[in-house]
Amino acid sequence: MAARVLQHCVRTLRLSSGPLALRAAVVPAAPLHRALSFYSADRRTRCVNRFPSLDVLCRQYGQLPPLTLESIEERVLYVLKLYDKINPEKLQATSHFMKDLGLDSLDQVEIIMAMEDEFGFEIPDGEAEKLMTPDEIVQYIADKKDIYE
Amino acid sequence: MGVSRLPSAALTFKQFLQRQKVLGIYRNMLRTIRQVPDKTDRKYLSEWARDEFKRNKYATEQDAVRMMVTQANKHLEELQGSLALAKS
Repeated sequence: MAARVLQHCVRTLRLSSGPLALRAAVVPAAPLHRALSFYSADRRTRCVNRFPSLDVLCRQYGQLPPLTLESIEERVLYVLKLYDKINPEKLQATSHFMKDLGLDSLDQVEIIMAMEDEFGFEIPDGEAEKLMTPDEIVQYIADKKDIYE
Repeated sequence: MGVSRLPSAALTFKQFLQRQKVLGIYRNMLRTIRQVPDKTDRKYLSEWARDEFKRNKYATEQDAVRMMVTQANKHLEELQGSLALAKS
């Protein structure tokens, strides 16, 4: 296949290079362009064929392990345990930040900011105020990232 | 006047708005501080902001809170200004 494409390229090149001066006046070197792009396409396929792993390597931009509800919950609880004002032993997935853990609204803001850092997206103010338990945070993040059971 | 269903400790509407404003400033402050490039500076600044807000946590007088909001906004602007300068 590659050889045939190459052959075709050479043929078009030779054809277009003959009366080039005359043609260029009428059609500004369109066939030449096509021949060149053929050539480069051919080179690209050859390159990939020579390094089969290259194709795979090139396509993994931002590839992260897929999020699941469990992994989100694990990460949320991990961040909460690292937060200095929460007692890790009292922490449950259902505990309310203010009623059960004795935090105030400023701490809650800090927690939401820490979640933004951890998961790399911004939570708008209006919704941030409503997230009061680890479970709600997990649910919210799962909704935003389109993760369902 | 009918018996209010609200608990007696509930905030008035004005207080509620003011509270939202304060929390918004705190959030903006933390967002701005997050852009500070140096790690120790970032830590220092976020601790400073936290201490400052916590210290006045129990302030209830409206005028006093309004003054503090103005002050915080000024600090925030200053911080954003110097960050923009540092970036350019």
